[in-house]
Amino acid sequence: MTLRNLVLLFCMLCSQFVLAQDTIVNKLQEVIVSDIYLKKYSSSQNLIILSDSIINQNKPSLTSLLNYNSTIYFKENGLGMVSSPSFRGTTAQQTAVIWNGININSQLNGQTDFNTISTRNFDNIVVRAGGGSPIYGSSAIGGSIHLNNDLVFNNRILNELQLDYGSFNTLGIHFNSKISANNIVAQLGFSRNSSSNDYDYVGVFDWQGNQRKNLNGEYNNNNWTANFAYKINSNNKLKFYSQTSSVFRNFSLIYESDTKTKYVDESSRNLLEFDGKYNRFTVNIKNAFTYENYQYYGNILNDNFSSGKVESLISKVDFGYKISKSIHLNTVLDYNHSKGFGTSIDNKIREIGSGSLLLTRKLDNWQTELVIRKETTSAYQSPILFSLGNAYRFNSFYELKLNISKNFRIPTYNDLYYSGGGGFGNPNLKPESSYQAEIGNVFSYKKITFSQTAYFIKIEDFISWKPAMNGNWSPVNLKKINTYGLESILNWKYNFYKHYFNINATYAYTISKDLETNKQLYYVPFHKMTGSFGYGFAKAYVNYQFVYNGFVYTLLDNNPKQIVKAYKISNIGIDYNILKSLKVGFQIANILNQKYQSVEGRFMPGRNFNILTNFKF
Amino acid sequence: MKISKLFLTALLSFPLFFSCTNDDDVPVAPVPGAYENGFFVINEGSGAKGTVGFISNDLNTVQQDVYGDVNSNDALGGYIQSMFFDGEKAYIISGSSNRITIVDRKTFKLIGKITTGLVNPRYGVVVNGKAYITNANSYDSPTNATDDFVAVINLSNNTLETSIPLNTTADKIINDSGKLYIIESYNNSNVLVVNTTTKTLETPINIGDSANSMEISNGFLYVVRNPFGVNSELVKIKLSDKTFTTLPFSLENVKNLDIYENKIYYTSGKSVYSMDIATTTPSTTPILTYTSTSTYGEMYGFSVNKNRIFVADSPAFDVNGKVYIYSLTGTLQKSIDVGVGPNSFYFN
Repeated sequence: MTLRNLVLLFCMLCSQFVLAQDTIVNKLQEVIVSDIYLKKYSSSQNLIILSDSIINQNKPSLTSLLNYNSTIYFKENGLGMVSSPSFRGTTAQQTAVIWNGININSQLNGQTDFNTISTRNFDNIVVRAGGGSPIYGSSAIGGSIHLNNDLVFNNRILNELQLDYGSFNTLGIHFNSKISANNIVAQLGFSRNSSSNDYDYVGVFDWQGNQRKNLNGEYNNNNWTANFAYKINSNNKLKFYSQTSSVFRNFSLIYESDTKTKYVDESSRNLLEFDGKYNRFTVNIKNAFTYENYQYYGNILNDNFSSGKVESLISKVDFGYKISKSIHLNTVLDYNHSKGFGTSIDNKIREIGSGSLLLTRKLDNWQTELVIRKETTSAYQSPILFSLGNAYRFNSFYELKLNISKNFRIPTYNDLYYSGGGGFGNPNLKPESSYQAEIGNVFSYKKITFSQTAYFIKIEDFISWKPAMNGNWSPVNLKKINTYGLESILNWKYNFYKHYFNINATYAYTISKDLETNKQLYYVPFHKMTGSFGYGFAKAYVNYQFVYNGFVYTLLDNNPKQIVKAYKISNIGIDYNILKSLKVGFQIANILNQKYQSVEGRFMPGRNFNILTNFKF
Repeated sequence: MKISKLFLTALLSFPLFFSCTNDDDVPVAPVPGAYENGFFVINEGSGAKGTVGFISNDLNTVQQDVYGDVNSNDALGGYIQSMFFDGEKAYIISGSSNRITIVDRKTFKLIGKITTGLVNPRYGVVVNGKAYITNANSYDSPTNATDDFVAVINLSNNTLETSIPLNTTADKIINDSGKLYIIESYNNSNVLVVNTTTKTLETPINIGDSANSMEISNGFLYVVRNPFGVNSELVKIKLSDKTFTTLPFSLENVKNLDIYENKIYYTSGKSVYSMDIATTTPSTTPILTYTSTSTYGEMYGFSVNKNRIFVADSPAFDVNGKVYIYSLTGTLQKSIDVGVGPNSFYFN
């Protein structure tokens, strides 16, 4: 193995960094990126880019990947069960998930269950902290998570098969094929994760002294992707992205005698895109069809279920114009047509149109971005959204970033139209809106990058479901919340001779206060920290990672007795390249066999193991 | 290699900086008869945990999770709905955990658990050594509201003897000489009658919907109905022949019927009222009115006993509740913080 190959391997294995000028991809290859705004309009905000090598080292759920590699805090109802994030002290509905540029948060409940997303078939996953609604729409208040497929024209065929087998009969099969010819590139993938998920609760026994276990927690998660790009000529390209998943889960019991339930999620996203470049003009046209469907079985012993389904058609046209060498303008028109139905929602059609202006000026060491967006819909009153950011590099050592924005979270189908047992929607809701300001300092020295960001978010018209008439619940625009804090991210990589090292660490300090009670929101920790250390030598690579989650309150009144305790969990993994095309790995999660929960009553597994085999051919 | 070792050591030892605080609750050894002189408050809690609290009769001793304290942090289950007594034993029903925990009513020490035959159990009574438990079954599914049943548990071995299907909804249950009367306020307009000898349903008494509380006195079953948007009414059923008369309140949303020393106590909104059991003109002048921030959790629990009026307030279901204790004339004696969702009182 030559030094060059080593360096490449190092990059593939270890790289994970705040977006800087680096790029993993060889400049000679043409890479087709679907989310055209991510790089262009994020210079004043922090990005954490998780490359495919990082993705493959972590467990295949989005929860696990981000829990160990970002400042985002997760509430997980037991391993593999419903998982909701809190980004910068906000709620799951205030964190947007963007698939190849399209917002895929559920139209029904406004959030993404991070355990329904398998990470394996994405080329990179980017965590973008802070407001993003002017570009990405609803929910990008705390931040957004971007799931990206990059299509590479390199005239190669590369197939990759990875098999995982671990404790609790956990099985993973991941296949990915990338085929590139002169003017066409295709990427096909399949990923399946399944588990009996019947782990013991560390040190927890029932009243008769029997070891308690995770019961009814089995799941299987299937995911198909197919992506294509076709170069019509050097200026015109056609792209197609498609992802379909079906996730079958039984929901873990809290007590052995609880009623057993199960949940099925099905979703499909399909995006056809045209890209054109004509001198100073660019055109990007997107048409997407998305579909989501759930079925909830309140008792698996009978066939009764409740369900909900939303189909959406999204059309987006972007005209770009290069005003001068440094100034670019984009105008975007967006139309979204959704139809929702189910046991608790009568056929409801929602149409949303929007127009945005995006302006960026890029000088050698100073980049300015301005985005303005206005939506129009009959469903609710929509505010004008904006974002203004500046990034100024004083010297090679120091860069200053400033960003202010106004963002929102629109009322969901459930918020507006729910009419099932126990509650009713409120058609008069306003969107939640937020002002946000942040200041970021990025220090770079050789291969060390350290960034520190302070932010302040003011959220108004927070939508809460409250008991209303006759024992039913209904949502209202009620609370005002201030959330503010500090995020620090450290990255270091180093190599000499055959050795390579990398260190990544994040720390978040978060205050999130309900202005009425002046209390910290429950399930928002004051402290969260992650760290990873990688060391590679020749064909071997060792990785250690940990997460520390501070305690969280579980009640509104911040009763100090009602908390979920802090926990710190460490994992270790080793990979070895037997051949250039064959890698084996072994991982131990929760090596110290800690007893911990992220949600009250929901124990997580103790020490557990995984072996993997990865073929490339 | 030295540098790498150093980093590895530093990183591996890093988590040790966060020392674990050992704040496990220290189990309290049960004192014989510790809970003899006082009353219990059920804190419904969440799916993760509900608790039973204790307040002494002098109102000075308060304990939030009696069961956990006495039984090495074992838990009762999620959503504690109610409890019932049989002799020296107390039976505590956890709704979402389909479980009944049996304890000594004076020491609260665990005796056993009933975990079979229950699906979303609600309330229970004991007749001749057998517990009759109403079960809401799949009550969250409107299409399946008729699958409620009564589980008959033999208390000599704590196992299910039989189930009595009701073909309708069921909630509160009361016993009079071996006959059980069952009401449910959302989907049922009958008072169901179950014969415990034959374990079958008798002809129900059709009094109309929204029956929310009931009590038996001198051969009569008193039931309060609160149909939405109209004045509530008191229904007086003569148990010997199942005939009934009604008495309208001049109030809406009357709940929490409780008969104490020949007076009928009831609530409407945040106020408590009383009337003589024989009167034909119910009172509209409150004995007391309290302040609550909740519209749903107001008067979430209510009882009149030991010359006092007990009010439980549950401001929301993600915050601890409060208990207010008044004299029979409405003078506040004490307010006490309790757990989440206090829904009822039980007296030792």
